[in-house]
Amino acid sequence: MNLIVNGEERAVASPPLTALLHVLRDELGVTGPKAGCQQGGCGTCTVLVDGEPRRSCLLPLAAVDGAQITTVEGLGDLDDLSTVQAAFHARYAAQCGFCTSGMMLAAHALIEHNGGVGAELSREQVQAALGGHVCRCTGYVKIVDAVIAASRGDVEPSVGIAPIPGEPQVETPGAPA
Amino acid sequence: MKAVGARLPRYDGLNHVTGKSVYVDDVRVPNMLWAKALRSPHHSARIVSVDTSRAEAMPGVHAVVTHQDVPHNVYGHLEALGVPADEPLLAEHEVRYKGQPIAAVAAESEDAALAAVETIDVVYEEREPFLDIRKALDPGQPQVTPEGNVFRYYGDQVPRQIRKGDVDRAFDEADVIVQGVYRPAAMEQAPMETQVALVVPESTGRLVVYTVTQAMYFSLGVLAAHLKLPMNAFKLVGGTVGGGFGGKVDTAADTISALLAIKSKRPVKWRWTREEEMLCSSTRAAWHMEIADAVTNDGWLLGRRTMTLHDAGGYTRFSSYGATKHTFHLTGAYTIPNLAFNSYVVWTNRVPSTAMRGFGVTSVSFAVEMHMNRIAQTLGMDPWELRLKNANRVGDTAPTRVVYSDPSTVTTLLEAASTAGVELAGDYRTMTSARREGALLPEHLVAQQGDTGRSNGGSR
Repeated sequence: MNLIVNGEERAVASPPLTALLHVLRDELGVTGPKAGCQQGGCGTCTVLVDGEPRRSCLLPLAAVDGAQITTVEGLGDLDDLSTVQAAFHARYAAQCGFCTSGMMLAAHALIEHNGGVGAELSREQVQAALGGHVCRCTGYVKIVDAVIAASRGDVEPSVGIAPIPGEPQVETPGAPA
Repeated sequence: MKAVGARLPRYDGLNHVTGKSVYVDDVRVPNMLWAKALRSPHHSARIVSVDTSRAEAMPGVHAVVTHQDVPHNVYGHLEALGVPADEPLLAEHEVRYKGQPIAAVAAESEDAALAAVETIDVVYEEREPFLDIRKALDPGQPQVTPEGNVFRYYGDQVPRQIRKGDVDRAFDEADVIVQGVYRPAAMEQAPMETQVALVVPESTGRLVVYTVTQAMYFSLGVLAAHLKLPMNAFKLVGGTVGGGFGGKVDTAADTISALLAIKSKRPVKWRWTREEEMLCSSTRAAWHMEIADAVTNDGWLLGRRTMTLHDAGGYTRFSSYGATKHTFHLTGAYTIPNLAFNSYVVWTNRVPSTAMRGFGVTSVSFAVEMHMNRIAQTLGMDPWELRLKNANRVGDTAPTRVVYSDPSTVTTLLEAASTAGVELAGDYRTMTSARREGALLPEHLVAQQGDTGRSNGGSR
């Protein structure tokens, strides 16, 4: 069987009922998707299958043969963050980071489905789309804020920190070396 | 001081949003074996026998360990502080909670390890479990430990106690006595990343331990103690933790993984399932807290008596420390001059409890604040005014007789009221944390005041 992972065609040898999560992590070494509950309950393993957010722990390989799989590694890289990644970074939406890739992929799909950056999503839309994702650091407010910011393109990609309205402006020194 | 108040990028932020942060389960090494544990299906049982011979003979199995393989099996997380060691790494004569590990297997795959675990034959003699902390002091209950069901501080002192002032007199002089019982349940920290460990033996014999611990030096001490190795026999690699919230303070997977790595001479990874995380990893303790306050009609707290029970689970771990912290905080952020506190650490046949977001303190804060509301309701008094009147001020003394030099209760309450849009009466709106005087220094609060060592005890 084959998968197109982040644009690259990969032949896979795992048995057909292996969960996509394990094919990605164990066979292909793509470790961005995380194993949180492996019961479909937490959303940490979310990847995009042909552009749709899916729980990779519940998807047997046979069901996704030939599909386009996008993981966090396919969203953007250090020097070329996607809008969602830049917004999550700029607005401190990642705490321990374990749920972050799943959250960002769901957010990316939500924005794409609403016409891409410039979509100006409402808080309710974001909450509905991310409702199945658990963050135990309980950082939901910052996550929702980051997705709304990303939907508006309200982000400085990869440099600086966007000011939060209402907070005193402080000169921001560069990132620690 | 450039960093204070500045919005700095997180040092790990870019790695988190690009998927480059390396958590323990993301680390892959050649020749890695996978571990699974045999866990007790009973809350309480005597172990008659453990037979691992079939597991050892299974294909793909490289190591099976039981208590016999542990160089120093019974250890206590606070042994260095004089708290008696009571917990075996792998159960020997008995199990005290459902999910307690008895044996572990390292095999070529998780499936092979699980299949081998299922062939281990354990004969149990099931016992009636003790599960209700409220019965801790009742006669005739099942005994969790040879010492009984209640932990003894310093060998002979049953509850952690605080005595301050003259509590009997306070209750004699009270206009009203307000009583309440508060019972927060146990709570699983439930980090998104379960307990995981990877131990890689080096050719020198040193063990590289990839750990999810929140407490590297605790884990190092626990590893060295159980395995009877010097601390320089380990290199711990950690720091990237997929959530802990206290649940990764106790050393969960590291030591058994290291034991399997030593025996198999291969790298061993053990990752707990979500089910294991929820059922077998330590929780925040359940509590039973009884509070009785001697109160005046105009809202002064003259005295407080408490009897609280802490559910330690089957082994002590850090419970005696957590209950001590709890006892020190039993007045909350308020000044009460006459106190009698008795706090009991109770062993039960439940999973051992540990830290979670304010070890021992979050639960007592819940009880104290609920009780403040109850007092306000009983007196028909504004709950903000009750709190502000009794709030800790400069020169007031804690239950431990520590003198507060810079308490923040008043500032915090005023800020909270302002944020919540609560209109306070003028006298209360302008209150500060300054040393008590005038109407804020009634006779019953004079004797408890102490010297902060400052000429002017602050002016906030």
